[in-house]
Amino acid sequence: MAMVDYYRPLRLNQIDSSLQEEIKRTCGVDVELCLECGKCTGGCSNAHIFDLTPRKIVQLVKLGDEKRLLNMDSLWTCVSCQLCVDRCPSHIDIPRIMDYMREKARKKNVRAQRESIEIFHELMLDSIRKTGRVAEAPLALKHNLRTRQYFKDAELGGRMFFKGKLNPLSPKVKNVKQVKDLFAQTIDKKEG
Amino acid sequence: MTTNLDKKALVVGAGLAGMEAAIKIGQAGYEVYLVEKENTMGGVTGQLFSSFPRWENPRELVDNRIQTINQIEKIRVLTTTTVQSARREGEAFVVDLQKADGQVEQVAADAVVLATGFELMDVSVYGEYGYGIYPNVVNSLEFEDKLREWSAAGSKADRPKSIAFFKCVGSRDRSKGNPYCSKICCMYTAKQAGLTKDLLPEAKAYVFYMDYRAAGKEYEEFVRSVIETKHVRYVRGRPSKVLPENGRLVVRAEDTLMGVPIEVEVDMVVLASAIVPREGTRVLAGMFGALTDQYGFIENVPFELRQTGNGVFFAGACGFAVETAGAQAQGAAAAADVVALFNRVPQGVK
Amino acid sequence: MNKERVVAPEKMFPEVPEKIFLFRSCTGSMEYPGTENAIKEVAKILGIEIVMDPDQTCCSGYLLTCSAYKPEFSLAVTARNLSIVEKHGLDTYMFCNGCQGYNLELAHIMHEHPEYKQMANDVIAKQGYHYEGKTDIRHVQEIWYRLKDEIAARVVRPLTGLKVASHYGCHYLAIQYGILDDAGYPTFHEEIYSALGATPVFYKERQMCCGYSVGRGFTHKETLVQPHLYKKFKSAKEAGVELMTTTCPGCNTALDREQPNLTKRYEEEFGIPVIDISQLIGLALGVPLEKLGFDANTIKMDGILKKLGIGKGDSDDN
Repeated sequence: MAMVDYYRPLRLNQIDSSLQEEIKRTCGVDVELCLECGKCTGGCSNAHIFDLTPRKIVQLVKLGDEKRLLNMDSLWTCVSCQLCVDRCPSHIDIPRIMDYMREKARKKNVRAQRESIEIFHELMLDSIRKTGRVAEAPLALKHNLRTRQYFKDAELGGRMFFKGKLNPLSPKVKNVKQVKDLFAQTIDKKEG
Repeated sequence: MTTNLDKKALVVGAGLAGMEAAIKIGQAGYEVYLVEKENTMGGVTGQLFSSFPRWENPRELVDNRIQTINQIEKIRVLTTTTVQSARREGEAFVVDLQKADGQVEQVAADAVVLATGFELMDVSVYGEYGYGIYPNVVNSLEFEDKLREWSAAGSKADRPKSIAFFKCVGSRDRSKGNPYCSKICCMYTAKQAGLTKDLLPEAKAYVFYMDYRAAGKEYEEFVRSVIETKHVRYVRGRPSKVLPENGRLVVRAEDTLMGVPIEVEVDMVVLASAIVPREGTRVLAGMFGALTDQYGFIENVPFELRQTGNGVFFAGACGFAVETAGAQAQGAAAAADVVALFNRVPQGVK
Repeated sequence: MNKERVVAPEKMFPEVPEKIFLFRSCTGSMEYPGTENAIKEVAKILGIEIVMDPDQTCCSGYLLTCSAYKPEFSLAVTARNLSIVEKHGLDTYMFCNGCQGYNLELAHIMHEHPEYKQMANDVIAKQGYHYEGKTDIRHVQEIWYRLKDEIAARVVRPLTGLKVASHYGCHYLAIQYGILDDAGYPTFHEEIYSALGATPVFYKERQMCCGYSVGRGFTHKETLVQPHLYKKFKSAKEAGVELMTTTCPGCNTALDREQPNLTKRYEEEFGIPVIDISQLIGLALGVPLEKLGFDANTIKMDGILKKLGIGKGDSDDN
């Protein structure tokens, strides 16, 4: 995933601050408040498996490296536990930046490195579209089918199914038409 | 030129700055009331085990100052005494002093020097660091006592094998603490970590830092010597969490130079807590019409560094965090202002 | 900032509400129906009336963090759900940290930006809804904590000797205003355990995230969630934890359903049942076992019930 060529020195005067300004404007998050202390990363639930840690993500916003941010695996391994912002002495809302970049990745059609993430999101949206609620059991089954992990959780899912723990027919909201209507007016609405 | 040796000064606080102010005003021949709420003089300096950047014993300095004060007839030391109230009468103040026995003594003062010092921020707001929860998480003043304890002979069995020092706890923190840098923590933390290695040579000392600020004569050399010759390990990153584990403590942080999360097992955590003004300082400032800043530190009037009101001066950490040498220098400077006020002569046009 | 963020329960509820709207959580109601039941039973015992509405949908927070396809959708969903509550003239009570966090955040956005509120209202107006922004968004655990002493006085099955530990759930402690405690060192769950007669245990990884958030339980189960949970449960086991409680059904799902997988992968048995804190309170207050729905748990409560000397059919004393 060669984004910016980091083998050569990064020439700072070729970098513009448009991403930084965009994030300040749209998310209300000012990365210039960063003290570069790393308290975010020390507190992060998943820093040990991140390709880019929270502090580096803030730094990349400053460097304006949108390409790297949109393609990083951390975008999809972040669990939004909010510990980074909770610990941050400047209260920089890093989860908000992550949300924004995830949204941007979708808009720009930058596919996540792991296919299953895309599938999961589609299924999740689909569940709400059809029933107004999220139902984990059918979602898990569909997710495993679509990601060709046919036997994953089969034992567990099956056992739960027979004991009636996971309701395979997810209970619908009474008036599903209204939910469909919401979709029609927002997500499915044609731009312009 | 007229000299009115009847003029009297009131110095509130007998720490290093207040003692120095009293000495210089007394030596100039004016009567001084040196009021101290504790039962001894010396303030925070008197509690310290060692000083930077020359590893001196602050006790020797404090004892020398006390001795000097005792030799100056014009200084009246009032320990275990607080200022109850003050009102202005003409150019002077009438001040009620409350003593330990409840007696109130009224004195008149033509000038006042506020030298009420500082206190450490209550860092129990940082639940993640566990101050007030884990007994071995201490603040930097409590750690000075530990150093004194370890320097004395005695059993070495229960001494820590590993200590972590956290800088900027409550300083440089807009969210739970104060946005300002507390100025002296970088230096005293280097001192404390270095002393740890001297007193407990087997122990490991880790200093978690964002950067170290060593702007002063011999300061940079001091910090470097702690790293290079005493082998204190400096880790660049602000710790995120202290967790209990098997009777010890685990510190979680990021090594920001490598960008990797790290953990270190320690037996003690020392928090370099932010320096904040005392609540009493704000009250005193109100009584004497002194200026304070947004945090409650005493503020100077424009162009006069040690003056904060009409006939009111200040010195030491009640104005902002300051190292011992600075506190002493400010005490002397405030005294110069007081003496200049007492000797003021009409200035004609040149 | 911290001081305004953390609010004492007495200040949060100068008066305890007599009637509340209970916001249904998708995961909570489908995975662990016992939670919703337990809340209703405990509320009944404490004299609080519960109102629900079948037209309330998913909070849509899941979507928002997953990748926020279109924030307009989430705003409209939130406005619609909250307008349903406002029709009842009540405050909204969640039993899912996610629902609470997202509703609060989106309500806050609409409060701060009237143009967004207008946009959401335009969408839902066609269905006859209108959102004012009057309903307060709270978590049921806040009432339980406020009524801690009253709960203690009504304990009929004291949990004496039971070592209970908490999983607070990141998304409650991360809320920026008006919460019981922040992520520094919360203790309000442990205080509730003590009120029930149980022994609270502070294990090392007490505040470690469950890992399930944002769908990671589906997409990163092996790479992320399991190593995470293994670390958490290992520290809980070492501390002697017998039972764990949550206040978020998502966390509960992760902590309970994943344990057999951990055993398979790491060859280590934990056997720590995980239930909602409302179920634990219900248990101590003598709610009949069949109403608490422990059957839905993957890790069985049998050992705990046996230890406490509670058998099936052994319901309360009234």
